[in-house]
Amino acid sequence: MTGYDLMTPVERFVAYGRGEAVDRLPCVPIVGNTAARIVGARVSNFRGNGRLLAEAQVAAYRRFGYDVIRIFTDLYTQAEAMGARVHYPDDETAYLAEPAIHSVEDIASLKPANPHTDGNLPHHLEAMSRAVDAVGKEVVVTGALTGPFTTASFLIGTETLVRLMLRNPAAVHLLCELALQGALAYAKAILDAGCTPSLTDAMCSTTVISPKQFKEFGQPYLTRLVEFIQNRDRAVTLHICGKTRAIWEQMCDTGAACLSIDNAADLAEAKAKVGDRVRLMGNVSPSEIMLQGTPAQVRAAVRQCVWKAHDNPKGLIVASGCSLPVETPFENIDAMLDAVREIGWPVHSDKLEEAWTA
Amino acid sequence: MPLNEDELFKALSDAVVGMDEDTAGQLATEAVDRGIDAYTAIERGLVDGMGRAGELFESEEYFIPELLLCSDAMYRGLDILRPHLKVEDASQRRFKVVIGVVEGDTHDIGKNLVKIMLEASGFDIVDLGRDIPPQRFVDTAVAENADIIALSTLMTTTMDAMAEVVERLQTTNLRERFKVIVGGGPISKAFADRIHADGYANSAPNAVKLVKLLAGVPA
Repeated sequence: MTGYDLMTPVERFVAYGRGEAVDRLPCVPIVGNTAARIVGARVSNFRGNGRLLAEAQVAAYRRFGYDVIRIFTDLYTQAEAMGARVHYPDDETAYLAEPAIHSVEDIASLKPANPHTDGNLPHHLEAMSRAVDAVGKEVVVTGALTGPFTTASFLIGTETLVRLMLRNPAAVHLLCELALQGALAYAKAILDAGCTPSLTDAMCSTTVISPKQFKEFGQPYLTRLVEFIQNRDRAVTLHICGKTRAIWEQMCDTGAACLSIDNAADLAEAKAKVGDRVRLMGNVSPSEIMLQGTPAQVRAAVRQCVWKAHDNPKGLIVASGCSLPVETPFENIDAMLDAVREIGWPVHSDKLEEAWTA
Repeated sequence: MPLNEDELFKALSDAVVGMDEDTAGQLATEAVDRGIDAYTAIERGLVDGMGRAGELFESEEYFIPELLLCSDAMYRGLDILRPHLKVEDASQRRFKVVIGVVEGDTHDIGKNLVKIMLEASGFDIVDLGRDIPPQRFVDTAVAENADIIALSTLMTTTMDAMAEVVERLQTTNLRERFKVIVGGGPISKAFADRIHADGYANSAPNAVKLVKLLAGVPA
């Protein structure tokens, strides 16, 4: 708990979930590698160093006082553990250099990752345990888990995968199944570490594939993954980047308890469409507002989000629309939290409207 | 009964929209065998089909997978028809775009879509690929005598590299020679304005409209 708040994040979530009084709405600027800036580390130092990753994420939580810690460096950890080649720039977020395989014939050579031995997974698990040990009583610590379809795209390359969806759907299912088996094993290890898996399936966005293709290649695998996690009594947050309006219902059908919505989608629309089924999380633009905007613009954007969705039947978590860029200014992250604190609870939406339309 | 010319162009266009590479190839070969003008077959067949595919993409009936397969069919036909273009059609000076993903980023699906749609709209494209240092955009644009430099990124970490391309053009007094356009997930109109780019588009079809505008081609 930071000096500004009256409740710990865990207390706040529990009370909020029961409809009881809280000091403010939950707020999650999705801090990823920006945490390196808190402890004076370089982003590539996180590679193979669970202790540092935990230290940085805990320090960032303490610095800003937000409501969820997410152990995350990039979306490629599971694909890397299955053979994809990831490039680690010295001080920027890693990116995919080369998929694990290039043709359908090579699928047979792939094995689901072992989370305790392969790639960076053991180090991420170590970071999760350490963060839980340090602050797990007061704040939920989540472990980033990449969805099967997205991992499949990193295994064979995105363009190859999306062509195969139409030319050889069986091969895509084979890849998604392999990715799912790896994801299930990793999810189990994350849960065993005392953490909650937090799901991202970036490539399922309708910016890339159609709702029908999501239904065939994304949703079934996500559903099995979510079911597995919910069976261990953890509520799952599902994030899909970019446009998602046409698949919100299907995202809910996976069993996820919370949808994290990108700034390419609209919170008011999401509330109207699926707000009685899921909590919503979002959606201040990570690039245009959080990275490039001023604190005043951040505050205005927060007020707009709250105005749109504070009365969402299943609740709202004020958040960035996606992970924050590494160089997001601290004062903008502070501004997000401060704006939520100023708004307080219960929310008086009439004041908000004046504030952000002014 | 053999198709008349109009029917053949329509069938070519349909093969592209229908993502049917083999039929596009067969029809292109038939056009060549029958001595049908290659330029017309490309324009009224393949390019027309890709235009329709782009419209379906804009109306969200088609998504990236469909658009890629349409382009596979278009390129199959182009490979067959292009060698048969009349000299004046083949050597006609066309508006030229140098395109690539800036250094530090390897996400290139967005760039590839823009490239495909521009090519289908009759522009000359020099595709540098991904993870391209700023100076290479400048050098290539000069060497190719290009009209436009198109920069793409999905990552915020690499946005500064876009500004650097513009700056390098300025410091070498080349800024007036090329239009610079930018796009990709984290990019906005405000960012484009701030780095003094000449344009921003938020989708592949809009990138085509932007290039047409800059080229003075009726949309």
